[in-house]
Amino acid sequence: MESKTNNNKGGGIHKHFKKMGIGIIVLALLIGLIIKLSHIELMPTQKAFFKVFVMNGFILGLLFVALAKEKIEDEMIAQMRLKAMSQTFIWAVLYVIIRPFMDLVFRDPVQDLMGQELVLAMLLGYLLNYYSQKFSNK
Amino acid sequence: MKNTLKVERAKLNMTQQDLADKVGVSRQTINSIESEKYVPSTLLAIKISEIFKTTVNDIFRLDDGD
Repeated sequence: MESKTNNNKGGGIHKHFKKMGIGIIVLALLIGLIIKLSHIELMPTQKAFFKVFVMNGFILGLLFVALAKEKIEDEMIAQMRLKAMSQTFIWAVLYVIIRPFMDLVFRDPVQDLMGQELVLAMLLGYLLNYYSQKFSNK
Repeated sequence: MKNTLKVERAKLNMTQQDLADKVGVSRQTINSIESEKYVPSTLLAIKISEIFKTTVNDIFRLDDGD
């Protein structure tokens, strides 16, 4: 009785997107590093453009890694993803509440929380949680 | 939840990978079930019991804490 895997069930994108995501992250980091280290004189608008470009590249890469399916996407993986997502949601809410107080202590003027910053923190939190579960189960 | 998956597997001289391939999950999932880190769904428990031609209750038993 050979049973099919659950690879086609649920959401997620093809597993090849994980490598693509890592490539985008590396590319975004490289571009950011080159701009920072080469001391090129940039206008404020250009600077803002590159900052958004690098940040968005980093977020898109992380999203691809987070959504890419495993080689065998079974029920245990689905449960790990769900647990990681729910814990990350709670963590993000706490982050939004605590961040202004951290600003008060360390930076003084309370700065608005950027959407990109929150999304980045959520994606990193999700991936950290998911992979720590995955490797502790190995 | 306790289980006798390792014993049943040994009776048929089956590896974790063999069982994983038959029920359509990863070897890590079978390993986690055997080490009681993961409780399988009803569907997977039935699939596993069918492989060993026995009932779910013969393989999986409730623990005191369950």
